[in-house]
Amino acid sequence: MIIGLVTEFTKLAHATVVRATTALVVLGISLLCSAMLLAVHTDDPQLAAKLGPLIDPGGWIGYLTVAIQVTGAAGFVGYGVVLSWLFSREFADGTITGLFAIPVPRPTIAAAKLVVYLAWGLITAACLLAALVVLGLANGLGPIPADAVPVMGRQFALSLFTIILATPAAWAATLGRSVLAGIGTTIVILVLSQVSVIAGADGWFPFAAPALWAIHSDITVGPLQLALVVPVVAVSVTLTLHSWQHLQLDR
Amino acid sequence: MADSMVDARGLIRTFDDGTGVRGVDISVARAEIHALVGLNGAGKSTLMRLLLGMLRPTAGTITIAGRSPADTDWATVGHLVDYPLAYSELTSRQNLTLGARLHGVTPHQIASMVEAVIAELHLTQYADRRAGKLSLGNRQRLGLASALQHDPAFIVLDEPTNGLDPSGVILLREALLRRAGNGAAVLVSSHHLDEVARIADRISVMNAGRIIGALDPQGIDIERAFFDLVYSDDVAA
Repeated sequence: MIIGLVTEFTKLAHATVVRATTALVVLGISLLCSAMLLAVHTDDPQLAAKLGPLIDPGGWIGYLTVAIQVTGAAGFVGYGVVLSWLFSREFADGTITGLFAIPVPRPTIAAAKLVVYLAWGLITAACLLAALVVLGLANGLGPIPADAVPVMGRQFALSLFTIILATPAAWAATLGRSVLAGIGTTIVILVLSQVSVIAGADGWFPFAAPALWAIHSDITVGPLQLALVVPVVAVSVTLTLHSWQHLQLDR
Repeated sequence: MADSMVDARGLIRTFDDGTGVRGVDISVARAEIHALVGLNGAGKSTLMRLLLGMLRPTAGTITIAGRSPADTDWATVGHLVDYPLAYSELTSRQNLTLGARLHGVTPHQIASMVEAVIAELHLTQYADRRAGKLSLGNRQRLGLASALQHDPAFIVLDEPTNGLDPSGVILLREALLRRAGNGAAVLVSSHHLDEVARIADRISVMNAGRIIGALDPQGIDIERAFFDLVYSDDVAA
């Protein structure tokens, strides 16, 4: 496993796709949220009227609530892109043939990809929260009040949920042998999450439950509903490892 | 065959488009270079993929050093099939280090092994260049270096001269002869009959998924002999 982790870390650390996505997730989300904050405080009453409800109740809590909403969608796509690329690039670059007939089993390589992705995701999530805090302070929100700390915790927790809930993209990218298969799956899941909320599934759709819980909306999401994330991720990871175990280069 | 490094019997694996292999027996002895020649679609790459576990045979058996594929010590195998193991974002040296790790080379041996193969395949000036910036030929050379650097006991190379310039072809030839001389079993496919004749101990001809005969590497008109075999097989079919 150590060999797999070292090789996958080396590849990830040098990859342009990963660097670009890290910048988009960290800077993109944090700048978007701070831009909305600035826009609300402009002299344009119409703009303030339109954006004001989005950052209700204002201040740190309003700002972080916007960040939670953006993280749930944009973050999910960003994590799905990196995970799809990690798995599909071996097929696209033709390097998959080099991952056969070696002493490191392919499921170990797939597991190493997931572990390295998880570590990258954790770092990215921490950087995003740090960027949100820095930009919030820079935009004059003042000292962080005590009641904003739990909201920060929910934003970070949502990032973690989002990271692990993107794992179906790994399986899809493996089956489809293409980055588009993984990204397409990520987008379909995102759309289904929105539809599930509109359809009244509340927190019973595991891909939507963490965002609903983090936003602290009128919909109550219980521990059981959040716990449904675990089997979903377990199944995704198991299917991915199984696919790598039984992989054949027959197409 | 007692001295066989690789022995495959009755291999079958076909695809919907009619290509594949149909009942192939093949062996590669230690210290032997066994060449596979055939037209496009003859089944050479499929056969190599079967031997390397990239495809599972519908029927037939494979043993490598007397073991089934599930029990094979893959650290003793080196291969290049289709594309080199070269990640575009890594330098040649980083790619070779990664390849050595994946082949189970112990960490304290990796640096000297990588430097040795860089020198052997004349990659010194490209050692710190990203693989994505290399020409097709140098990328192929990098892939060959990754396949050969750990001095495998069984070497499988599919069209290894693809993209190589004449000096690269000579370097490859010398590298293979040196390893076969040290006891490695080498299975190599090629379209270049003259090149194959220079290094091979045995040449097997594939056509329509079967091995239809052999060519004498010392033969005078090997190209004519090849086409006679293929034509006879096509007519018989």
